[in-house]
Amino acid sequence: MASGTHKCPGMQMFHRDPSPIISRRHALGRIGAGFGTLGLAAMLADERAGGATNVASSPLAPRPTHFPVKAKHVIQLFMPGGPSQVDTFDYKPMIAKHAGERPAEVDRRSLRNTKNGLFPSPFGFKQYGKSGKWVSDIFSHVGECVDDICFIHSMHTDIPEHAGAMLMMNVGHLQPNRPSMGAWLVYGLGSESENLPGFVAMSPRAQPRGGMANWGNSFLPGAYAGCYVNIAEMKPESVMRDLQNQFVSASDQTQQVDLLRKLNRLHADREHHDPGLESRLSAMEMAFRMQASVPEAFDISGETQATLDMYGDSEYAKGCLLARRLVERGVRVVQVSLSIDGYDIAWDTGHNDIAGGHAKLAQACDQGIAALIKDLKQRGLFDETLIVWGGEFGRAPTSEGAKGRDHDHYGYTTWLAGGGVKGGFSYGATDQFGLSAVENRVHVHDLHATILHLMGLDHEKLTYRYSGRDFRLTDVHGRVIHDIVA
Amino acid sequence: MQSTCRSIRRLSAFVLALVAASAAATAAEIPSEHLEFFEKQVRPLLAEHCYECHSTQAKSLKGGLRLDSRDAVLKGGDSGEAVVPQKPDESNLIQAIRWQGSEMPPTGKLPADKIAVLERWVELGAPWPDEPDQPAPAVAKTYDWPALRAGHWAWRPVVRPPLPPVAAAKWSRNEIDRFVLARLEAAGLHPSPPAEPATLIRRLYFDLTGLPPTPEEVKAFVSVAGKSRSGSSKSAEAAYAAVVERLLESPAYGERWGRYWLDVARYSEGYGGFVDSAALPNAWRYRDWVVAAINADMPYDEFVRYQLAGDSIDKQHAVATGFLALGPTYIADGGVEEAIALAKLETIDDRVDTVTRGLMGMTVSCARCHDHRFDPYPQADYYSLAGVFNNTKNEEIPLASPEEVKAYQDYQKKIKALDSESSKLRGIVRKENRDLTKEESARVAELKKQIADLKRDAPEKYPVLHAVADSGSSDMPLAIRGNPLRHGPVSPRRFLKIVAGDEPPLFTRGSGRLDLADAIVDPKNPLTARVIVNRVWQHHFGFGLVRTASNFGTLGEQPSHPELLDWLASKFVGRKQGDFAWSLKRLHRAIVLSATYRMSSAPSDEALAIDGDNRLLWRMNPRRLDVEAWRDSLLAATGELDSTVGGPSVSDIAKSNRRTLYAAISRNGDKFDSDTFLRLFDFPVPRATSEGRTSSIVPQQSLFMMNSPFMIARAKAMAERVAKDAKHDKARIDRAYWLLYGRAATDEERQLGVAFLGAQAATDSELSRWQQYAQVLLSASEMMYIN
Repeated sequence: MASGTHKCPGMQMFHRDPSPIISRRHALGRIGAGFGTLGLAAMLADERAGGATNVASSPLAPRPTHFPVKAKHVIQLFMPGGPSQVDTFDYKPMIAKHAGERPAEVDRRSLRNTKNGLFPSPFGFKQYGKSGKWVSDIFSHVGECVDDICFIHSMHTDIPEHAGAMLMMNVGHLQPNRPSMGAWLVYGLGSESENLPGFVAMSPRAQPRGGMANWGNSFLPGAYAGCYVNIAEMKPESVMRDLQNQFVSASDQTQQVDLLRKLNRLHADREHHDPGLESRLSAMEMAFRMQASVPEAFDISGETQATLDMYGDSEYAKGCLLARRLVERGVRVVQVSLSIDGYDIAWDTGHNDIAGGHAKLAQACDQGIAALIKDLKQRGLFDETLIVWGGEFGRAPTSEGAKGRDHDHYGYTTWLAGGGVKGGFSYGATDQFGLSAVENRVHVHDLHATILHLMGLDHEKLTYRYSGRDFRLTDVHGRVIHDIVA
Repeated sequence: MQSTCRSIRRLSAFVLALVAASAAATAAEIPSEHLEFFEKQVRPLLAEHCYECHSTQAKSLKGGLRLDSRDAVLKGGDSGEAVVPQKPDESNLIQAIRWQGSEMPPTGKLPADKIAVLERWVELGAPWPDEPDQPAPAVAKTYDWPALRAGHWAWRPVVRPPLPPVAAAKWSRNEIDRFVLARLEAAGLHPSPPAEPATLIRRLYFDLTGLPPTPEEVKAFVSVAGKSRSGSSKSAEAAYAAVVERLLESPAYGERWGRYWLDVARYSEGYGGFVDSAALPNAWRYRDWVVAAINADMPYDEFVRYQLAGDSIDKQHAVATGFLALGPTYIADGGVEEAIALAKLETIDDRVDTVTRGLMGMTVSCARCHDHRFDPYPQADYYSLAGVFNNTKNEEIPLASPEEVKAYQDYQKKIKALDSESSKLRGIVRKENRDLTKEESARVAELKKQIADLKRDAPEKYPVLHAVADSGSSDMPLAIRGNPLRHGPVSPRRFLKIVAGDEPPLFTRGSGRLDLADAIVDPKNPLTARVIVNRVWQHHFGFGLVRTASNFGTLGEQPSHPELLDWLASKFVGRKQGDFAWSLKRLHRAIVLSATYRMSSAPSDEALAIDGDNRLLWRMNPRRLDVEAWRDSLLAATGELDSTVGGPSVSDIAKSNRRTLYAAISRNGDKFDSDTFLRLFDFPVPRATSEGRTSSIVPQQSLFMMNSPFMIARAKAMAERVAKDAKHDKARIDRAYWLLYGRAATDEERQLGVAFLGAQAATDSELSRWQQYAQVLLSASEMMYIN
């Protein structure tokens, strides 16, 4: 059992119950060999008392980790559609020197199999910070933060199509039948919030293509699903269903909940069994509190003008600000996906027009992202919050049409900041023109393994038994990139 | 630590072409300077950059390739030989280190001088000193089939066991009880006393129909059965048996048990997101077929045959093949060859998985990339089954006149033609790196208008059946490591060796689906009957005799009562007097008439200490209702349930009074309002066959009960109903308890109710105090649990 590596089907000789929430077996599967830390006796008692319904502790209760924790929260700034690395954070002056040429190094098949030559970035680059990192002018605000950022320039993924690559990024698999990374993290760690969901996904107007697959729980229990919020319409009812009641006053509802608590307790006593009574009571009380706490968490009217100014007024910036508010309140994972003009793979405008499209997209998110970093630092949350910025792949240094770029899954940039990673640091490299990752290559599985590691989880031990197999976020892959860990 | 069961991912990984082996120079002829070059430059380089994954020292050999002996290099790995001597450009190894197609080493490209060394080495004919090859790290797996079939309970033939001797034989009502009692006695346990008649009748109603009994039905039964607590009186027994018959004949029975089947069939109406996004608006016709078949007690073997091959048995039953057609059918969203092949294989995998796990409790789809690690399902057997579905296509069977179909298709053809003209034009412009000319823009605009007009005028799509049809009858090559572009040996279409013998007969009819169906329902197949009787048992008791209902392999759980399981399975497929002849209703009857089924669910400390999980069945398991039964019972209690059977699905079930079975369901659970409601209460994501529900408790469920318009509407209806039925608060409270829980309120409950109703509703509450009270009763635990 100590070997937590994935097996097919699992080696671990315990099995999935048809109807647990989190049974002891799951808890064990979750932490691999960490018996001692579990409070095993208590959970055994719960399981038995639950009889057929088999309900133990709350699925969102905080849980022990495999490793010391570097980061407690993840904010994923997801850039669907594929932002171009050579126009943002992977500075390649050699492109301009060989403009129009097609050297062997970049002569690789792309999605649309474009055959054009090298296409210099239409944007200027400047050096920022003590680290002297070159950053494109379209990300000047983020540029101010480079000394807090750890760039991975050697990302690569499996296929140059949005569907598969987005799923690879968000669920670690090319097909949508797996839990999302956020769901895995909440499953592994629980939540620190008593009255907010463990995982919140947001985007302005358009959901990233694939919708719920990007934050879904798949075969994990429902408590781990991301709760999706559309930033553009921030009514409480759009944050979470059935959060408000126009039919019963708050005082009457308090009495209803009180009566319900008494009746449920009578029922449990009479039946001599306790089908998760405590869980039901605590869920009910949490629900009662959520009616106030959820709207409060999403209400930014109490923020100071200085804070609002720092973020700026784009919709995406509002998502960044909300991400900070949620993390502050103990939410484990927040995913903020960019979209503008209602486009679900926003950065894909890069096919036709890098200069216009990328500038507009960066404009929509640059200030908010930088503000998030600064704000988290001001509040002492930066060190415990891991920010992950990036898309599902990058874009080629050669041109598509006159002024666009085709997809590039051979090499691209993702950056991390905050909890547990080195700031002012760059890891890995693409070739001299920026097409393929050639040095210290990092696959998406490796990124996932590293994120889990920073959160205190061993990606080989965080497993869930489903259909006779122990599944992992990283499937049978992934290695932790220790060189970027601070 | 070995990497196992990979689904395909490194699509561009190691090179695909297989090149004919060329004659290799033997060591004797190799010039010594070439050997020196090898030892000084090549071997160290291979050791440094390749041996971690490609040698006998590798913790996990990658791509089946070793580079630590000449023989191994020439033999190559999954992608064929690594080196063609003298021909660097044709050598997979050289292409890989040049990062042409695949990328080795994966951690970073070698510097040019090192690449040149290996190129030179290949040009020289791959010189290597004469040294013995090390033994291969993995030998091909061999199977001792007779021993394997005898070695695991699920693969042994089903043999009807004799009834075991028991001490307290009087307790047992039928054979089931003998098997249960024998195990209880052996463990020093006693069966629990019979359940109270009111509890039993409620249990029976929910189990057979998913609906509660009315207060009148409970009272009528209690008035007969309650007189004789031991249940021995003939009239009590007759009354119980009569209720069983009535419920089995009610259309609600098929709705309840049809829904259980739809979990296995991973039934949905499509909308799987962007890689399997097709809508299946006529899926409900399959759902209705299932309900009707179960209500008609169609023998289970026929039920299975129609679902796998109804199109070739009887066109009337082609709709049943929705079992296959409604699964995810993946598409690639670009034109990449690898992605297209992968999408096809994913689709086939869904069919293999649903059929093997759903019908036989076999995790065959684990053998897609390699031989199953634990069960005797060779990879070749996977492709023997996959070949059947490789020759099967989805087909829409029109339910309209040929004229209607033609009219629709004519429009669609025109639209398609205009569409393709438009995209052709755009393609040319993109290729030539220029903007549209004036004339071209005008043409594009004109096309757009014409398309819009046609779309507006086109008739609506005619109704269809989502079915399947044969598309060929060829065998399929095994996909090496699950990569559909790496072909291994061809696997003839035939059944699994563990079941059908060391050399199973070939499938010969069309795609082979009918042969496959026949092999599955062959009475000699030890798995099919065991799996279905176990599923039925699971839904009556909360757990199966085998608790891993879709995995009967070596990693599944052992049956708690193996003889009982075999007795049920052999009765189920038997055709002699008293056997069930594949009738599910006969199986239900045997189970619910047993004393085992009729036990109380009350726990005892003594028994809990010995068998806390109730594996030995010393009591009935208390159970939480699934979302269907819970929601339906709310509507039944308030008197609002619309019991219409069948028809198109309801997109927002929370706004309807139809049974929950009729909710529209999307494959990802994110298309319909119904999905949102269902998922809140543990409805499974219908991406894969499901063996049972989880039962989670999350605050969003409480929010639904406190605040949802659905619950508010039920509360109003409930308050109105009891106001009509009774005159004063106490009587109304009692009436509500009878309607909701099938019993009278206790004194304490009545007092709590009276106290709550005594207070005034707040002025800003729209709900009256009675409606608020009704909402609390509807939300209580007791609505969700049965004993």
